[in-house]
Amino acid sequence: MSTSTTDRPATGGSRRTPPVGGDPRPAERHAWIGRRERLTAGGFMAPSVLLVAVFLLAPFVWTIHRSFFADTRTSPFSWFDNYTRFASDPALTRSIQNTLLWVVGTVVLPFVLGLAIACMTDATRFSRLARLCVVLPYALSGSAVAVVWNFMLTTDGAVNQVLTSVGLDSFAQGWLLTWPGNTLVMILANAWQATGVAVILFLVGLQSIPPETLEAGSLDGAGSWQQFRHIVLPQLKPVSIIVIGMSLVNGLKSFDLIWVLTQGGPGRATETLAVSMYNETFLELRPGAGAAIAVVLTVIVLAASWLYLRRQLDVKGE
Amino acid sequence: MSASGRTRSAAAPLARRRVLAGMAAGAATLAAGGCARGDSTSAQPGTTSISNDNATWDDGYRAAGRELEKITGYALRPLSNPSVTSYQQVVQMTLQTSKATDLVKWASGYQLKRLARAGGLTDLSGVWGKYQAKGWVRGASRDAVSYRGKVYGIPLYESYYVLFYSKPVFEKLGLSEPRSWDELLHCAEVLKRNKITPFLASQVGGWPAIEWFQELVTKVDPRFYQKLVAGEASYTDDPAREAMDIWHDFMRKGWMTSPDFDQARGPGALKAGTVGMFLHGTWQAQGMTAAGMKPGADYGAFILPTVRSATPKSVIAESGVFTVPARASSHDAALANVGSWLAPPVQRVWSDFLQDSSANPTVRSDNPVVAELQRDVAKERRIPLIRYWEASPPSLIQGNTNDLGGFMAGQTSPETTLRRMQERAQDEWAAWRRDEA
Repeated sequence: MSTSTTDRPATGGSRRTPPVGGDPRPAERHAWIGRRERLTAGGFMAPSVLLVAVFLLAPFVWTIHRSFFADTRTSPFSWFDNYTRFASDPALTRSIQNTLLWVVGTVVLPFVLGLAIACMTDATRFSRLARLCVVLPYALSGSAVAVVWNFMLTTDGAVNQVLTSVGLDSFAQGWLLTWPGNTLVMILANAWQATGVAVILFLVGLQSIPPETLEAGSLDGAGSWQQFRHIVLPQLKPVSIIVIGMSLVNGLKSFDLIWVLTQGGPGRATETLAVSMYNETFLELRPGAGAAIAVVLTVIVLAASWLYLRRQLDVKGE
Repeated sequence: MSASGRTRSAAAPLARRRVLAGMAAGAATLAAGGCARGDSTSAQPGTTSISNDNATWDDGYRAAGRELEKITGYALRPLSNPSVTSYQQVVQMTLQTSKATDLVKWASGYQLKRLARAGGLTDLSGVWGKYQAKGWVRGASRDAVSYRGKVYGIPLYESYYVLFYSKPVFEKLGLSEPRSWDELLHCAEVLKRNKITPFLASQVGGWPAIEWFQELVTKVDPRFYQKLVAGEASYTDDPAREAMDIWHDFMRKGWMTSPDFDQARGPGALKAGTVGMFLHGTWQAQGMTAAGMKPGADYGAFILPTVRSATPKSVIAESGVFTVPARASSHDAALANVGSWLAPPVQRVWSDFLQDSSANPTVRSDNPVVAELQRDVAKERRIPLIRYWEASPPSLIQGNTNDLGGFMAGQTSPETTLRRMQERAQDEWAAWRRDEA
């Protein structure tokens, strides 16, 4: 990498450096054209940069600033008080636990299910229908999915009614009432929706695998599992990186499903950091505490994405 | 053009520039339009706009507005945002802008005090004084609509927290409206024996978790409740423990619905006979009618009896208010309308619409069930108590409501719940008093 980095300015420099002993006017002309190109590029970039700066960076800087001030009427500077609540407030501790559960659940379930469904439906007779059934929930909004699952998961909802009707009364329970069960069923509901996009991506990946590689493996005597493990899976790596990366960020910012199903309750038991941020800021009227959660969440999302992508890109670059 | 390649190549960028320029102009126009003042809150002759968080009341506002128009010349134009959470945010934000509506529906008590403290509301003490002179408001309500001695809200309605019950179900089981605690327990036992869940209790949407807490504490000791919500008593004191123990006992006996039972289904559940009694504000009478139940024939309502016969009788009263933003688009019209809102002809129409009791004590409800409750409150000289939601600083109430929701879901014991509520009360009262100082 270092080689390529040092190479690049040399190449660019040689292009921009005027030839020795040559006419200075072409050099001036080159410089003028270069400036003009840079200005033009800057002009095209300016609206986007401005929008990002005004609507993303400025609020982010303001949020960091606000997180260091108390939530009393006069809002005095309070150092890290809003951040120390992560250690002292049991609701925030639970929120971090839930966020971790969501991250694991939203990464593992859509990945495993998506890969399995894509592999199973790639070459079967009813593959189109099966794929449609799996992909369809992805087209629904998160809130609509939550409303549907609410009908199923309430104590007198469809799931318990079915269990009762088949004589499994002992399994009927308040699915959304007790932790960690309520968080787990919501992760399942989320997986039901999110698997669709993983299936699509894996199908694209599967279709891009050259059949010759599989034929070669087959001729070498590799069984189905060996072919999958040593030929298919390595070639799905770029797609897997995308699926896991997307799921990771989706898990960290999960909000809509939780909000519609439980509003983070009962007793703040199902809050994730995103829900806690909303709850503290708008319901408990503590914008400083909400800002601190937002900062922590942003740091976690950026760190997780960076660590993950850096590792993956390194692997890819090798 | 086609004759020369040069012309063709020059024309293409020109056309592209025109398209881009057109698009940029269009975007600028849209942006300018978006930034311009919306029509909804701007002044419209002959009307005053109302921010409202209950879209089902829009027709009632319009009907009452027609009566107001006869007096003031201004009708009412409701602008509804049915999500309570987003409504509160929108109102608080728009109060600081020039887009504030003329009237804003808000809660009384500390919810109003917090809004008034942030500034941006009109002092309505003069309006209140005129109402009081005419006997159109209850003097005892003044504190609930005041901040630092000034009135910032005019009562919008007055609801009582009562237990609705299905008359046909009670008659079928040989039950009558309970007048004492023992009779209430008897009703619950009979209902449970007949596979009917005696009480509806819910924490769906958050705030309903306060209903049984406030009701049981006030029926154990109403004076204690007054001290508790004023920050002068502890949540771990005996009356609060007793109330929570009763609640816990009801839940263990299976007398209460699952906490994820949505209250919106309450009237239907009463009608279907799956739930025996539904604790809620009398404004729910409208929901009973919507479910096809006739007041007095299909449903009745009573105030929860006190746990001991010697305990003073009380009633939880909820009163929303109208506030007038200082930067209301039609400020004079808004003041004229709040100045006549409690006039009997207006309240007659409004009370009939709500099927609830009017904030004007001279106006009797048209709904026989609510009218009977009004008589009961007056006859028994029940102590009016402010609803828990508005009775203490909002941050404290919100946190405690979450704790009560957790208790209902079986996450915490009564002792742990009360201990947490008390810890929060100490912090939040200290913060509130610090801010006030």
